[in-house]
Amino acid sequence: MKTYTIASYQSPLGGPVEIIKQTFTAVKDKPVKRIAFVSGLHGDELEGVFICHRLTEYLRQLKETHSQAFLGEVNVYPAVNPQALGAASRLWPFFSVDMNRQMGNGNGASLAAGFSNALLDDLKSSSDIVVDFHASNLHLKELPQIRIIEEFGKKLIPLASLCNTDLIWVHPTAPVFEATLGYNLNRAKIPTLVVETGICLRIHPDFCDQVFKGMLNLLHNTGILNLPDPPEVKPPLLVNPRQVALIQAEHSGLFVSSIPLGSWVKKGEKLGDIVDAVNGTVMETIVSTADGLLFTLREQPVIYQGAPLARIALKETTQP
Amino acid sequence: MKETILSIPSPLGPTVTLCKNSWQASATPDVTLSIVSGMHGDQLNGLYLNSRLTRFLNDVAEGRETDFKLKGKIQVFPVVNLHAVQSGTRLWSFDDLDLDLAFPGNEKGEVAEQIAQCILTHTADSTHGVILGTGDHLYEDAPHAKMLHADRTTRKMAQSLGLDIVRELAESSTAKLNLLHHWGESSISSLMVSVGKPQTLDRTLCDSLFDGLVNLMVHTEALSTSANKNDKTDVHFFRANGNYCVLSTQAGLFTSEVKAGSFLKEGDKLGELRDIYSGNTLEEYVAPQDGYLVTLRHHPVLYEKEPVAILLTEKKSGFWPF
Ligand SMILES: [Zn+2]
Repeated sequence: MKTYTIASYQSPLGGPVEIIKQTFTAVKDKPVKRIAFVSGLHGDELEGVFICHRLTEYLRQLKETHSQAFLGEVNVYPAVNPQALGAASRLWPFFSVDMNRQMGNGNGASLAAGFSNALLDDLKSSSDIVVDFHASNLHLKELPQIRIIEEFGKKLIPLASLCNTDLIWVHPTAPVFEATLGYNLNRAKIPTLVVETGICLRIHPDFCDQVFKGMLNLLHNTGILNLPDPPEVKPPLLVNPRQVALIQAEHSGLFVSSIPLGSWVKKGEKLGDIVDAVNGTVMETIVSTADGLLFTLREQPVIYQGAPLARIALKETTQP
Repeated sequence: MKETILSIPSPLGPTVTLCKNSWQASATPDVTLSIVSGMHGDQLNGLYLNSRLTRFLNDVAEGRETDFKLKGKIQVFPVVNLHAVQSGTRLWSFDDLDLDLAFPGNEKGEVAEQIAQCILTHTADSTHGVILGTGDHLYEDAPHAKMLHADRTTRKMAQSLGLDIVRELAESSTAKLNLLHHWGESSISSLMVSVGKPQTLDRTLCDSLFDGLVNLMVHTEALSTSANKNDKTDVHFFRANGNYCVLSTQAGLFTSEVKAGSFLKEGDKLGELRDIYSGNTLEEYVAPQDGYLVTLRHHPVLYEKEPVAILLTEKKSGFWPF
């Protein structure tokens, strides 16, 4: 394993702040493919950081015991927004900016834009495939899934199907994606999978293990690693927006769920209540609007009218 | 007239309401001017300016400002990011969302999306729009107007503000999420006016801009006046490629020696950077060429590779005929 610093800046209090890249080179001079794993763009999303830890630990051992397994090159960027990770905050502290809204052109000469685009440029120059790990925000918990913008579907769905997630969600594009890492890499014709799993500020070892196995399977099936015993993975559900039912709050209050994430639910089945804690009343009972897989569930109870509470992948979805 | 345009019940606290004030001369005005402030919770100059404008427009409507009459429609949205203003922070910690990256919004979405959609709906039939803001977080701006579409009407509108500096903004990968962009898409002649720094109310700066905003109301024919119009002629317009950014090459404590809005000559000292622990000077910053100092770092703690100042240079500004 070789360690590189791909971008850095000096802090006013001393030492440099750096983006580290761990490189596992191929046995031959010319790797069959180069893959990059990225985590920590949002500093409170730790599930991906843990997945990168699992990958680095595994790859280090594999390099020692079976170095000939490395037909391609693997680069791991475990902590790309170091100060946000240090503060466990989504935004880059001090500047209060979202690093995943700084990618691409025209975002000014700020340090955040410069540093973000240094990461983007390094990935562009040294990757054939990228996996960008995210957890959900503070509010929602997600089953392991890969989200794909429609226009990139043809290239990405076959790769995403290898990753052992519960779901692949193909959705239309929106302006909000244009400043993200995934969108900019895909536009640059570097297939990039955006993995979303769990919730921020927590680590779900079971979800992480599931995605870790998926990444080994991806490495094996893309020919980057030649594993003697690749893990068994399950095929994901493939859904488009018409196959996802979103359930939103009609009242502001406290949402208390009554069913675990990942349940197969029936239409009309109770998912939870919205309560008025001041008056001690139930304002709204939330029920499923369809049969299917509960793949998103509200975790943070304080909700305003309109807040998303659950997403259900409809039962009649297809497999890729 | 104050009107509630969106009510957001709180899970445990009081309902928060989005309001607008509006005044109009007739039921079918030819001109509608919308003025928005409080997009971020730390931009206080805009809140103050809109409150002064509201008082003034009430006086006009009730005949106490005898030099002015309503001709079209004017609507003022003093606070957009309600929760951030209430918490005294740039963003609302509940969603950490930059409200000016939430447009066009969604009527059925989360709070920020509902607010964005509501503002866009209520300004959709405007002919002119102004967003009042300040310099970015950590920066002070000289009072100036910014525009995405530098067409003749918008340039004339900017000129009517009487400010020294007007500039064109570059398109960016996030621009499509901004209110200014959506107004532009709806053919609304629109400007963002930036004045001062966040978390600070500078009444002197605001008072100097107040007359300019009244003049803009007259220029756009939202107001009529019996007094003489006085459009400023010596306005400096800068194209989007006329920015020159001075970056730090070390980190430390920055102290400035100039004021935002100054015209600097090449070689003029902007300030210096000192080491926090030793107090030693690490580097000095000078103007790399002649230009207007439009943006200056006001927060002293500075990382490496950060902008210290932005100069607008006339060399690249091109010719902007009226
Ligand atoms: Zn994220």
